[in-house]
Amino acid sequence: MSPVRNPPAVSTLRWGRKLSFRYRRRSLVLSILLAAAVTLVGAFTLTAGQLGLDWQELFALAVSPPEGSAAFVLERLRGPRFLTAVGAGMALGVAGSLFQTVTRNPLGSPEVVGLTSGAAAGAAATALWPGYVPVPVAAILGGGLAVVLVWLSTGRGFARPGRMIVAGIGISAVASALTSLAMTTLGEQQAQTLAFYLNGSLASRSWSHAATIGLALLVVLPLAAALQRRLNLVAMGDELAESLGVRVDRTRTLAVILAVVLAATAVSVCGPVAFVALVAPQIALRLLRTSAPGVVAPALVGALVLILSDFAVQHIEFGAASLPVGIFTAALGSAYLGYLLFAEARKGRL
Amino acid sequence: MQVPAETADPAAAGAGAPAAGRITPRGPVGPARGTVLLAAGTALLAAAVLTSLAVGAHQLGPAEVAASLWAELNGTGSSYADDVVASRIPRTVLGIMAGAALALAGVIMQGLTRNPLADPGILGINAGAAAAVVTGMAFFGVGATGANVWIALPGAVLTVLVVYGLASGRRGSSPVRLVLAGTVMSAVLMSYIQAIALTRPDVFSLYRFWAVGSLSGRTLEQARDILPFFLVGLVAALATGRSLNALALGEQAAASLGVRPQAAKITGALAATLLCASATAAVGPIGFVGLAVPHIVRSLTGPDHRWLLILSLLAGPSLLLFADVLGRLVARPGEVLTGVVTALLGAPLLILAVRRMRAVA
Repeated sequence: MSPVRNPPAVSTLRWGRKLSFRYRRRSLVLSILLAAAVTLVGAFTLTAGQLGLDWQELFALAVSPPEGSAAFVLERLRGPRFLTAVGAGMALGVAGSLFQTVTRNPLGSPEVVGLTSGAAAGAAATALWPGYVPVPVAAILGGGLAVVLVWLSTGRGFARPGRMIVAGIGISAVASALTSLAMTTLGEQQAQTLAFYLNGSLASRSWSHAATIGLALLVVLPLAAALQRRLNLVAMGDELAESLGVRVDRTRTLAVILAVVLAATAVSVCGPVAFVALVAPQIALRLLRTSAPGVVAPALVGALVLILSDFAVQHIEFGAASLPVGIFTAALGSAYLGYLLFAEARKGRL
Repeated sequence: MQVPAETADPAAAGAGAPAAGRITPRGPVGPARGTVLLAAGTALLAAAVLTSLAVGAHQLGPAEVAASLWAELNGTGSSYADDVVASRIPRTVLGIMAGAALALAGVIMQGLTRNPLADPGILGINAGAAAAVVTGMAFFGVGATGANVWIALPGAVLTVLVVYGLASGRRGSSPVRLVLAGTVMSAVLMSYIQAIALTRPDVFSLYRFWAVGSLSGRTLEQARDILPFFLVGLVAALATGRSLNALALGEQAAASLGVRPQAAKITGALAATLLCASATAAVGPIGFVGLAVPHIVRSLTGPDHRWLLILSLLAGPSLLLFADVLGRLVARPGEVLTGVVTALLGAPLLILAVRRMRAVA
């Protein structure tokens, strides 16, 4: 993780004597800017394209509920899709941030600990044996099971990044093998549908998707924020944290559980979207110039990355069908990884 | 008398299982242990070949297999058993070649990158071959089999060159950068592949079977197509043993031992690329053989790359053939594609290795 370049400019807000709130000016400004960017992109996604609202209709929404075709576009087409994207992006960003802090590894992400491929295998299982469990539930079960298996496989929880990565590779391989088993035994049409889901898609989301991810965020984000201080201490090293009175193992376990809940819910509403969880905390780190990304910035960066990607796949013509958003995030993510590689290499750190 | 797979299989499992348990290498191999290991490896491979010819939807005894093979060689095969054996020859031949290629490539890559996790997937070879194959399917009307070698091979070689170029900076190429560049390149190519596959149903239906990797439905023509590349790769691979041993001590030490590090690396990378590109071209991307076999063999031989290479040459085909047979047995009369079986077998092994290894912690 990048070192602190400047001494952080910390300010404190006070209300009376007891209530105080410490913040860094940079993170506050950054959060406001990011939130503004999310809103702006949101406005664009609502107005762009053939069926988009025009700006008057958009501004009119502030005053009165929409009517006619505007209502249809907003309530059926663009609204739920946009909100699901924002929610899933936030969830993935925070999940990535938690995983990366816990594992002290910039590669720590739901992909690495097997969650993504586990969720995919869960979804694939429902395609093989349809009707028993709904797809999102199976995806969550599969993802959770994979993480537990990785946890058990390492012997010492997630404390050792090297072991975690290897165990993650192993469990992911088993899960992917099961997924490809499904892909080769299913009929053509079913296999194609499954492939779309497995690449992470935001097409035709409903309000229930948006509500699901919203609820998860509502419950988990405050907990994650509350845990953040202890987590930052754990990031400085187990012994130091222990000596400062932090119960390291419990903190780590809690953080992993929160991250799994967030990532699994995200998978359940839009499929395993690649790389957002990996990239968002890293971008947040570089923007914030701190040693720990925290909760707010990765959430907003994650949302921004996902809605921008979704905007792109909605409006870029590519062959016959429209692409699932996960392909775009994977391309973005790998480009970013490549940039990271060169940046580190130039500094001679690799 | 029926003395087929059921007796051969436990023997194979018995040979593999204790290896997985002892990941910490022993001391160097002496001539006596080396001979024993070579003999055991050869026996294992023979058992694997026999099983691969004998077991499947229709079971044959070893005597029947031998008789049918003999008839096949003389061109006099006529019975049903002869046809069965004949139909299993291509997949057995390709299993031997692909298993050997992947295992040797794994040894070389793990040696070159000094990374115990390196495997053919890591340099982007699989993704490069797959991207080329998909491009062929989508834009040039190429089928799932057939001319694949001539498409997959250049794709893989090109990818490795790009990865190598990306990874080498002013101070030469470091192992970590090589792995990272390979990962990035794979990710980029995979999203290209997915984008094509998902927007072109015709490509998707071909690709989803190719992508798993399987020995079934292969022909001897495919083996013949990859043979020259395979042989060049094989010879180059077997020649790298000494320089890999030297490189394991670090580049400066290697140079002082009379090994030119850059030349050794280029030979190794070339051999590994040729080997796994030809394997991938013929049977699709089969995972975990290249990763798991060197680990298993290393637990028996210790770190000497010359022994590692020779014994992996025997163990790789054995593992792949047994995996293929297992795939035929569990889903009779259908079969589970070989790539799925190798992943299901290889992954627990890998995890067992992690739990016992201290170096990667």
